[in-house]
Amino acid sequence: MRRLLLLIAVAGVVLGSCSTQPTGPLPPPPVTVSSDELAADIQAGASPTVVNVWASWCLPCRSEAPLIATASTSQPNVRFIGLNVKDNDPDARRFMAQYLSDADMEHFSDASGRIPIDLGGTSGVPITFFYRSDGSLAEVHLGIIDEPTMARMLDEIDR
Amino acid sequence: MEFTLLGAAAMAMFAFWLMLRWEAKRGNAAGCATNLWDAGLVAAIVGLLGGRIVAMLEADINPFTNPAQILLVRSGVSTAAASITAVAVFAFLARRDLLPSADAIAPAALAGLAGWHAGCIPTGACLGTESALPWARALEGSDVTRHPVELYAAILLAAAAIALALWKQHGSPPLGSVAGFGLIAAGGVRLATEPLRISLSGGPVWIYVVAVVAGAGLVGWSFVTRARATRPA
Repeated sequence: MRRLLLLIAVAGVVLGSCSTQPTGPLPPPPVTVSSDELAADIQAGASPTVVNVWASWCLPCRSEAPLIATASTSQPNVRFIGLNVKDNDPDARRFMAQYLSDADMEHFSDASGRIPIDLGGTSGVPITFFYRSDGSLAEVHLGIIDEPTMARMLDEIDR
Repeated sequence: MEFTLLGAAAMAMFAFWLMLRWEAKRGNAAGCATNLWDAGLVAAIVGLLGGRIVAMLEADINPFTNPAQILLVRSGVSTAAASITAVAVFAFLARRDLLPSADAIAPAALAGLAGWHAGCIPTGACLGTESALPWARALEGSDVTRHPVELYAAILLAAAAIALALWKQHGSPPLGSVAGFGLIAAGGVRLATEPLRISLSGGPVWIYVVAVVAGAGLVGWSFVTRARATRPA
């Protein structure tokens, strides 16, 4: 039993040290926007749009980031926007490098955290907004989004 | 919302418990000494944990450095890893009377799976591909009607669970055959409904095929074994 515990502890230390940290230059910081600017941008895009609200301090955001990255690269017709809220630039840039480096998406910043509420969501993160190509809001998903829900909503807006 | 998954889990546990209770009154599993409720629940929880850890590894998230994320089940569970882990854990817990225990738990396990799929109602995740059938439903604010695919799966699994339970009570299935048909039903229902689901990456179809093949093998083995045992010398 003692050997087993020792083995688990050693494996934990070894695997823990394998944690992926961002290497190389960090991406540029997200661009600061207002609610009106972002809403106008979504309307003007004339393509189905997903807005994912995230923050570097948000644990569920880290957890759902791989799905967001996969979805953004698998749906070329859909525009993906990341909205970083209540955060600071260095942490946001590290988060983007570590968790969203493979994602095909633009990132905006809202230090006040007001935009998600103005768009029809809440002050919590993560939130994912799904917009049809005509700019109408199809769905607001509060909390972590799972793969079936993401797939269904993309199918709903991308038509 | 993350907490709606608890609703789905509660429905699965209730369906599992209900079937065990219904069968207990009808002399479930002669020769089965394993506590099925405990073994089933432990297998499901450990299976979920295994499936979640594998999903994290697949997403390049280290479970040792991000232990709290193991609890965020909604962000993904590997169905294949969860299924294999759950079956392995149950086999270990019931190793002293494996086949009687597997036969005893099979209908309840199918009922639990049916409850889990019916849990799409609280999670709001019942709909699949587009359909014009009369019972097709649309998402709120949408005019695109879709197959309620998770409810199809729930109904098929519940029907299979009841059929197996009745066969066990009124027929004389050879040892291991109920578990075998249970595996066939679990894998077959997923295979049949998979084309109606929408997925970014495609479901893990291979594990459903493995379940059907393993189930068919177990059924064949059980009938052959009984035939040999009852053959006059």
